[in-house]
Amino acid sequence: MTEQTPNPPGQGDDEPPAAAAPVHRGPPIVIAEEVLNERGERTARLLAEVVGPHAQESGGRDDLPWAEVAPENLLEVARKCRNSSELALDMLHLQFAVDYEDHIQMVYVLFSMSLDRKAILRVNLPAEDPKVDSVVGLWEAASWYERETHDLFGVEFGGNPDLSPLLLFDGFEGHPGLKSYPFNDYQEW
Amino acid sequence: MTTERQHDTIDMMLNMGPQHPATHGVFRMVLTLDGERVLDVTPHIGYLHRGSEKLCEGESYGQVVTLFDRIDYIANLNNELAFCRAAERLMSIEVPERAMYIRVILAELNRVASHALFIGTYAIDLGAMTPVMYGFRERERIQNLFEAVTGARMMHNFIRIGGVKEDVPDDFGPRVRQLIGQVREGIEEMDRLLTFNEVYLARTRGVGVIDAATAISVGLTGPSLRGSGVAYDVRKDDPYEIYPYLSYKVPIGENGDCWDRYYVRLQECYESLSMISQCLDQMEAGPTMVQMRRIARPPKGEVYVHSENPRGDIGVYLVSDGTDKPYRLKIRPPSFCNLVGLAPMTRGSYIADAVAILGSLDIVLGEVDR
Amino acid sequence: MAIGGDERGAQGLPLFVPERWDREKAGRFFDSDEHGGESAGKGNHPAPNLIRSAAPGVITAKLDQLAALGRANSLWTLTFGLACCAIEMISTHMAHHDFDRFGIVTWPSPRQSDVMIVAGTVVKKMADPIRLLYEQMPDPKWVIAMGTCATSGGPYYKSYSVVMGVDHIVPVDVYVPGCPPRPEALMDGIIKLQRKIKDDAKGEQIDLLKEATDDRANA
Repeated sequence: MTEQTPNPPGQGDDEPPAAAAPVHRGPPIVIAEEVLNERGERTARLLAEVVGPHAQESGGRDDLPWAEVAPENLLEVARKCRNSSELALDMLHLQFAVDYEDHIQMVYVLFSMSLDRKAILRVNLPAEDPKVDSVVGLWEAASWYERETHDLFGVEFGGNPDLSPLLLFDGFEGHPGLKSYPFNDYQEW
Repeated sequence: MTTERQHDTIDMMLNMGPQHPATHGVFRMVLTLDGERVLDVTPHIGYLHRGSEKLCEGESYGQVVTLFDRIDYIANLNNELAFCRAAERLMSIEVPERAMYIRVILAELNRVASHALFIGTYAIDLGAMTPVMYGFRERERIQNLFEAVTGARMMHNFIRIGGVKEDVPDDFGPRVRQLIGQVREGIEEMDRLLTFNEVYLARTRGVGVIDAATAISVGLTGPSLRGSGVAYDVRKDDPYEIYPYLSYKVPIGENGDCWDRYYVRLQECYESLSMISQCLDQMEAGPTMVQMRRIARPPKGEVYVHSENPRGDIGVYLVSDGTDKPYRLKIRPPSFCNLVGLAPMTRGSYIADAVAILGSLDIVLGEVDR
Repeated sequence: MAIGGDERGAQGLPLFVPERWDREKAGRFFDSDEHGGESAGKGNHPAPNLIRSAAPGVITAKLDQLAALGRANSLWTLTFGLACCAIEMISTHMAHHDFDRFGIVTWPSPRQSDVMIVAGTVVKKMADPIRLLYEQMPDPKWVIAMGTCATSGGPYYKSYSVVMGVDHIVPVDVYVPGCPPRPEALMDGIIKLQRKIKDDAKGEQIDLLKEATDDRANA
């Protein structure tokens, strides 16, 4: 039974959480180690082979390696991942965006149904004009994921025939998934 | 008699609106019809979009568990389990074995309750009014047990990060064994009424067929995928908790039609009931919660964990920045992804079949819209 | 779905106003004078009957009470489950708790139903359909807000897309709190609604707070 990394004494649980200010007043931030297990190492090697020179950064935890690619190369890398016989990542399990304020990161979680493989592709997009190619031609599941990300984060997907609002009503102003969109304070409807 | 059209016809759009007795919640389908044949179906969702993912960014980890209860409101404990596993993986916590057994027992009971509701509501969608009474009777029995163990019929908030909230009552073992016997009889009753019933077969056999390749490309998971012949079950292929110690079969369908998806779920009920009795045999005394701080502060990092919900693969991608609130919590809802498969399944069938196909996908709108 | 002109809410976000809006200003029906406020039986007055319109001045009190008795004992609810509370509402209709013994039949069409049980979270995208359904129901009609989401937004009070209570859209007669309320709690809500219908026909207003205080004083 492993214990959670101990917090330093004197800064207990009863401290109120920090407000929306960027100053962190809690205990020091611990960074988790990213360690791949055996299955993950195997997949990471195959992933490095397939992605090749396009991989800007890579890493992984447990059995899930990730590789970061540039937005221009995403479609090509995704196609190679799907069609390669060693990776055979034929199911797009999840596709979503993370708002890091100065950039938006698109994450693609890919699974293989026939082989024992999982991988994550990441793409960093600029916050002012997030645009990336759509992978709806490779995996049909991407159609709704991309509509949702477009709705909530404002990311444009080139090549997706239908980016109409999925979850929000027509006429909704703004992109609520972004960190800059405030929480409702019980005053607006 | 020729089948040539002698008149000019246009395709009709029929709206099965957000309020409809057969759409399992606030779901809107616009069917493009040629007479009674469905040419295309456009699902419109978002009528229950409550912003859970954004809300999670403003709540501490303990409060997020309550939000997860309400995402798939029929299989609450499975959702809590998915989230707690993600947070525990990030914090590198190992949950004590007794807690794992309790979690699996409750999750499998919730699976049986969810499938009982599915069988009942699917039957009433097709017009059979009796099985829903039996299904909800079984659900009441299981919810009674949940109330004794967790304190609530529906939103349990019982599976916490690091274990479970408290130990089960003393009469848990005998009570659950009795419950398994009663629920098995109830499910068998519904089985006898429906499975090989002539009318039921006529309405579900050959309806809504989807082949394995399309299913994988569309992102189907769970019993809907297994109905099409793909042998993928997270409990077997990516095991977690104490599933490696249990012996059970995973039912796989052949044709990919509605009947196969129903039959897979029915057999899963029986398998779950046998799994629960194995857990009761193997369970030993011990602690039920890891020693940890009241407010969870996972280290900075990302993790993706997926587990088997009654509806499919629920995935939780947790991005933490080291504080006591998640930075980004993305939920991969199985019903959302299964709904993408509605269009390929429904093209070319009749309106009445559209209702049957939607029912066989077993969607929960709280999950689809979050 | 219309946006309320240039009016902005608290954080500068546009105020959301449904299209079918014939009220002067937004706000909860509960706090306003129209259709709600303290239960003055508005909307619950028995519909005008033939005798009253043919021979005005004839007191039809007993007839009103009889009509109210009939209405209260055979309430047809609109199947309108939105979210989690819908599952408890269905459980209440089923064999264990059994709504049928109160005469309650769940009916899918709004044109033939009396009560709309709004069970679940009301989302802004759903506000227009709810208003449309309410207007499609013929008089006399009642609304029960089931669960905390329908009462006041519930656990989603910080959300950008949730209407904080269905009584911003339709006037509510009975609020049933809980998340979700037990089937017994919903039955209690229906019984209170039945009492309200019968007492409104007599012209009496039930004051539950006064009743509870009197009970405690006399007990």
